[in-house]
Amino acid sequence: MTKANSSPTHSDTKPPFHKRLLAHQESGLVLVIILMSLGLTFFGMLNPAEARSQIELDEGSVVLLLDAEGTIHESGTIARTMIATYRVQKGATNTDYPASEIDKYDSTTATLYARTTINPFLNKTNLVLVTKDASFFAIIAVGMTGVIILAGIDLSVGSIYGLCAIVGAMALQSLPSDTSWIIAVPVGVLVCTVVGTLCGLANGSMSEGLGVHPFVITLGMMAALRGLTVVLPQELFGTQSIGGFPESFTTGFFKAEFNGVYPVPVIIMILCGIAGWFVLSRTVFGRRVFAIGGNETAAKYAGIPVKRVKILVYTITGALCGLSACAYLGYYGAAETNAGNAYELQVIAATVIGGASLMGGRGTVIGAVLGAIIIQLINNTLIIFEVDTSYNQIVMGAAIIIAVVIDQTKQRIQARRA
Amino acid sequence: MRIQNTLFSLVSISALALVGCSGGTDSEKPAASDSAADSSADIVYKIGVIAKSNSNPVFQAAKNGAIAAGKRLTAELDGASVEILWQTPPMEDAQVQAQYVEQLVSSGVDGIAISCTDANLLTSALQGAVDKGVVVVTFDSDAPDSGRMAYYGVDDKEAGKEVMRQLAAVMGNEGKVAVLTGNPAATNLQARVDGVVEQAAEFENIETPMVYSFMPETATEAAAKMQQVQSANPDITGWALVGGWPLYTDNALDGIYENAKIVSMDPLPLPLEYAMKGQVQVLVGQPYFGWGEKSVEMIVDKLHFDRSPSSEMVYADFDIVTSDDAEEFAKGWDLWLGED
Repeated sequence: MTKANSSPTHSDTKPPFHKRLLAHQESGLVLVIILMSLGLTFFGMLNPAEARSQIELDEGSVVLLLDAEGTIHESGTIARTMIATYRVQKGATNTDYPASEIDKYDSTTATLYARTTINPFLNKTNLVLVTKDASFFAIIAVGMTGVIILAGIDLSVGSIYGLCAIVGAMALQSLPSDTSWIIAVPVGVLVCTVVGTLCGLANGSMSEGLGVHPFVITLGMMAALRGLTVVLPQELFGTQSIGGFPESFTTGFFKAEFNGVYPVPVIIMILCGIAGWFVLSRTVFGRRVFAIGGNETAAKYAGIPVKRVKILVYTITGALCGLSACAYLGYYGAAETNAGNAYELQVIAATVIGGASLMGGRGTVIGAVLGAIIIQLINNTLIIFEVDTSYNQIVMGAAIIIAVVIDQTKQRIQARRA
Repeated sequence: MRIQNTLFSLVSISALALVGCSGGTDSEKPAASDSAADSSADIVYKIGVIAKSNSNPVFQAAKNGAIAAGKRLTAELDGASVEILWQTPPMEDAQVQAQYVEQLVSSGVDGIAISCTDANLLTSALQGAVDKGVVVVTFDSDAPDSGRMAYYGVDDKEAGKEVMRQLAAVMGNEGKVAVLTGNPAATNLQARVDGVVEQAAEFENIETPMVYSFMPETATEAAAKMQQVQSANPDITGWALVGGWPLYTDNALDGIYENAKIVSMDPLPLPLEYAMKGQVQVLVGQPYFGWGEKSVEMIVDKLHFDRSPSSEMVYADFDIVTSDDAEEFAKGWDLWLGED
């Protein structure tokens, strides 16, 4: 009798590749994103949106508006529906565009726009916008995943984000407008992440040092830091918002255009996601986080420095708030005192939708990032379906509650079976 | 399989909610064209309207103004129709507004009417919209460097002056005035306060007003501030409120209205009740319904006729509401809030 016949090897019992793929926590999220995208693409094919593209006119060209009888009208004297032809005249050369091909003519800027149609979902601008909008809180969700795996919570992330943005804005505003990106970007990143790191360190140290539940500490910090975010610009500049950064920091870096889109915040989100995944799943530190979240007492007896790990996780979360705030500053070119208001809810929602358990011991960074994208995809769906934004929160709230309830019910059923 | 099931449910609930919501949308869509052959009937002007927050009744009035203008213009325009897309964050959030601007532009709207929560933060997004050929009009709060076609609203400094003029009249041009303002860093409030102070200097027998601010801008904070100030300064005989904050609670003026005349901005339903009771003498109003209505009219005028307003600053008149006509004015809110 051969060994192979006597007992099945490990590889014999391994489920097939597609089953292993589906068993992955993130595969379900990817499936949801694919299904939603397919639905939206199909809807967009049935209901294409009108778009416009500028027609380049030669210098010295004049645009004439002709009605159906060929009579020329001056702009502002004829309704758009009465125009039959847009004639571009340059010297003796005429180029005629039928009205059906033209979206509009703007006499103020002498610009002629051609009419085109696009799929309102499946176009690169929209896809990058959705992921860009998700990126600001997805970056923070990377840190929040660690906090939630520890069975903790950080309610101050929105306020840390706001404070980092305001302090970062003050630093950037003080730079000369022609500062090179080599200086402006490190200054912005450094100031924002240092402020965030200090706030996160304060959260972790107070929570662990004073033995107070992080819910209470971060709730207090949420209020205190928000107050600071309002008071600082008010007292120092007498304003609610701060702008006027070097262009090298905004359009030169964080809002740099690549092929008609602005992907830098998305790239930062992806890099943070990969780094977070690596730290949590491939390092000793990551194993310790899961061990503490799974059973803190056992982790203590196993010699894991529980307090140090916890403080570090809160500190990293603060630093990520700073990094996200820096991306926000660069993309929008200003900071206001409301920045990040109620962000904690979106961040926690993304993390929970991503599969993290509020009881601790379970969660993935990639899941949290995908959760953030799903939240923005729901927002985008409402816009594409032209649904009033008042319904946005209802849909979002329902999605979160049902996801968590079903997840917990399944856990209970599995526990009973075990 | 646990997560897959969870997420399939997520998709289902989202889909169900969307289906349920789609019947209740406030987007006003034109009726389908009767004649497919008529190419002009294919023209639909899609206009996104972004206010500061969904929870403020003044923006509910702006929304109804925009929808009313859309319906009227659809009936009036020859072969074109107007569709209003209401995209407003639940709470004031300039970043969310900027995201809505970008997504509306991406979805192909022709025009955007917006009340900017923060001009600095929205300038870049609005510039991007203008660059892509979208007609942008701001209302209530402007973003002057965004390249927008026009701003519609009141001149805040003039509003402050009007409040002071009305207050001086009811005080008999003499006495001690206090000014109540919210966030002292808010530029529109600063301009109103400047207007009050500047106008007060015109009256010989009125002392230079003291300015009192409070944060956060809630009704209870405002009411508490007024009570404390009046208690500490019983010689105050007039209050100029550059926003209606304390009047959104009941009995906010107890101990004050007996000793001082009060003139406030914002004749909203609750403040109007104070006017009806005679506790507030005059309310100075902004064109809440007109914010939406006039903005949509200007955008459609540009899109349909390629006509721009003669000035990029289109200032509206104030509504002056006294105790005598407060009841009549309150009926207007039934229409503006869509309760009629």
